[in-house]
Amino acid sequence: FGVRTRNRLQGKVAEMENFAGHLEEIFLTVEENFGRREQHLEQHYNDVLQTLSQRYEDRAAGLEEEKKNKLEALYRQLLACGQALDASKELIETAQEIYRSQDKRLFLKVREFAKEETDLTLSTPLEFNTPLADLSDVKTLMDSINVVPAPSAPVINPQMPNSATQTSLRVCWSLFSDDSVEYYELYYRPVHDKVCAWFTVTKVKVKETHCKVTDLLPNAQYELWVTATNTTGISPASEKALYMTVPSPPVIKQRECTSCPEAALIRWESGNTNPIDSYTVELSEVETDGTESHLTESIVAVPTCQCLIQLQPGRCYVISVRAVNVGGPSNRSEVITVSTTGTFFHLLGETAHPCLSISEDGFTMFYGDEELPISAMAFDANAFTRCVAVLGDLIPVRGKHYWEVEVDDGTEFRIGVSYEDTERSSYLGANNTSWCMRHILTPTRHKYEFLHKGWSPDLRITVNPVRIGVALDYDKGTLSFFNVDLKQHLHTFHCHFQNYVHPCFGLDNPGALTVHNGIAAPE
Amino acid sequence: MRTPHLFYRSKMALTQVSSNKCADGFQKVFEHDSTELKCKMKFAVYLPPKAETGKCPVMYWLSGLTCTEQNFITKAGSQLAAAEHGIIIVAPDTSPRGCGIEGEDESWDFGTGAGFYVNATQDPWKTNYRMYSYITEELPKLINANFPTDPDRISVSGHSMGGHGALICALKNPGKYKAVSAFAPICNPMQCPWGQKAFSGYLGSDRSTWEAYDATVLAASYSGPQLDILIDQGRDDQFLSASQLLPDNLIAVCSEKKIPVVFRLQPGYDHSYFFIYSFINDHIKHHAKYLNA
Repeated sequence: FGVRTRNRLQGKVAEMENFAGHLEEIFLTVEENFGRREQHLEQHYNDVLQTLSQRYEDRAAGLEEEKKNKLEALYRQLLACGQALDASKELIETAQEIYRSQDKRLFLKVREFAKEETDLTLSTPLEFNTPLADLSDVKTLMDSINVVPAPSAPVINPQMPNSATQTSLRVCWSLFSDDSVEYYELYYRPVHDKVCAWFTVTKVKVKETHCKVTDLLPNAQYELWVTATNTTGISPASEKALYMTVPSPPVIKQRECTSCPEAALIRWESGNTNPIDSYTVELSEVETDGTESHLTESIVAVPTCQCLIQLQPGRCYVISVRAVNVGGPSNRSEVITVSTTGTFFHLLGETAHPCLSISEDGFTMFYGDEELPISAMAFDANAFTRCVAVLGDLIPVRGKHYWEVEVDDGTEFRIGVSYEDTERSSYLGANNTSWCMRHILTPTRHKYEFLHKGWSPDLRITVNPVRIGVALDYDKGTLSFFNVDLKQHLHTFHCHFQNYVHPCFGLDNPGALTVHNGIAAPE
Repeated sequence: MRTPHLFYRSKMALTQVSSNKCADGFQKVFEHDSTELKCKMKFAVYLPPKAETGKCPVMYWLSGLTCTEQNFITKAGSQLAAAEHGIIIVAPDTSPRGCGIEGEDESWDFGTGAGFYVNATQDPWKTNYRMYSYITEELPKLINANFPTDPDRISVSGHSMGGHGALICALKNPGKYKAVSAFAPICNPMQCPWGQKAFSGYLGSDRSTWEAYDATVLAASYSGPQLDILIDQGRDDQFLSASQLLPDNLIAVCSEKKIPVVFRLQPGYDHSYFFIYSFINDHIKHHAKYLNA
């Protein structure tokens, strides 16, 4: 029981100590505040007294000056009177003299002397000139002792990382002193290289020292400043700060992405009309059970709209892109799923001969029966003009690549690889920039050629392949063809490809070819 | 290399004739008493470095007319590729020798050096000239008993008459050989002078008995696991133009029967071992693909 009481007492003591500490704190604060207030008042009274004493000195000096002026004027008048008196006496004497003379005509002339009259009015006014005492400034000073001063200019903070979104900015500011403020006014306007008249300043009234500005343009720079207002008045404006909204997310160009077991080439559109500082590519591995693992890697400061990413073979990744400016990163783009089981590419539509059409999914190409007149053919600058062919967009990685092509044994085709700049007016395999397997239907048999520079070894294949495997190995410098169904090796070209090659596909008679991608290469 | 297991049954006994280190392994020649051929026979065996530590697949090489076990091992340049892929290559002689049969040494394309890989049914050849059984049964047993082999992984290749031998071995024994290839094989012996001479001598005048040893005929009735036949042929081969080899007949049948063949006509090459030497690597790689699968 004793222990419990002691514990309770100890608790109480601690509580009281705590309370005492708190009181002490309040005391100090009150003391501090009053001290500050006192100082403030003293300052103000000093100001008033100084103003009054200045006013007194000014007035005293004024009076002295006036007295001096008046005395000087009176003295000058006195002197003038004396002189006039002397002149009059002389005149009297002269008159008497003349009067005593014989000639009385001279006396008549004297009358003309007497015509000068003396001004006997006072030259100075009798009253003191007392100007009105203007004490309004003193009154203002006196009044201001009882009211809060108008706030000083707030300080606007620079933009904080990750505080912006595509359409909003979080702006913060602060005050130097402990001015009392009733509200702030935040002003902002977009900054453009060319100042446009219609971008007017917007004003927001806020109580807090922060504000979220919304409905902004993405990836845009804004100029912001703030004023503080209280009952006394409005502060000067803060400095102008530049904030930036984050960009819109980029858009991955799914049809232009390509991959192989070691890497993926991801291409995207900016998604913004104005320039982006850089992009961040984020990738994470998808586990075999389909769950996305934690973020495994991000590639930052990508300057252009494409990125070649090193990957591990036989995995599955989801990849997304963010656009980044000084305001921060955008939201994630839509993701692209990349499987590193095999090589994956799309066809380069702009290289397709006008007679070659490509299916919706982009992997089957058709050479139709109907003949197009040359005039009706719209040739892309990059398109094949003679050989009805198209290139595939193979990832530029010097590793091993493998893809398969499904053919019909009634179709005459050419499949293989070529340099990107292979002559568009030439047939695949007819030059030194392309290597291909060609199937020709003769009246008696199926003929297969493995063409490069227009030359082919002479060989016979007894079973017509309907699914052809194409294996490219840059390191070994080989391009091999297989009958996939039989696992039969058909031919190998030996060539150390100096440049990157693209898969190529051609049809020499009406028919179709289908490319099968993302297949693991056979051993 | 360990010494051969000479303590096996006496009829299996091998005598080493020569042994030379070659491509990190050993090229050896052995002699033994053949029960099938009832004479002493020599064969060459190349043991790749891998054979020192583990079991290896075996490729049987059948040589052409007039050859012994020596031609292939001294001229074809097969050892480096065999070492690389870890394949034992066994190259037997092409016929019984010194059996004392009347006329056996009279011509280069019949008798000694020209066994044609058949089991003769006619006197005086039928006792000794049983090369088919020798290469498909006796020799593999002997090899498996004396060398570190994997008996389930064997393949067969050959040149000219040996190419014919390789093709018939594969076609007559579906599944036994994992791979088959040939250089300038006699594809349709029933239709060419060499084959007709040999078959009538060894098998008699009844042409229906010849069919059992004719690759083109056998291909037409083949049924068994998928084959993948690689054939190289020199375009300037004098025996091609002399219609001794007749590859077109085999290709026609294989095309019709959907038996996979890649037949390569190599411009400028003749019938010699210079031709074999030029393409042996492709063939060993072809065999390795199936033997090491």
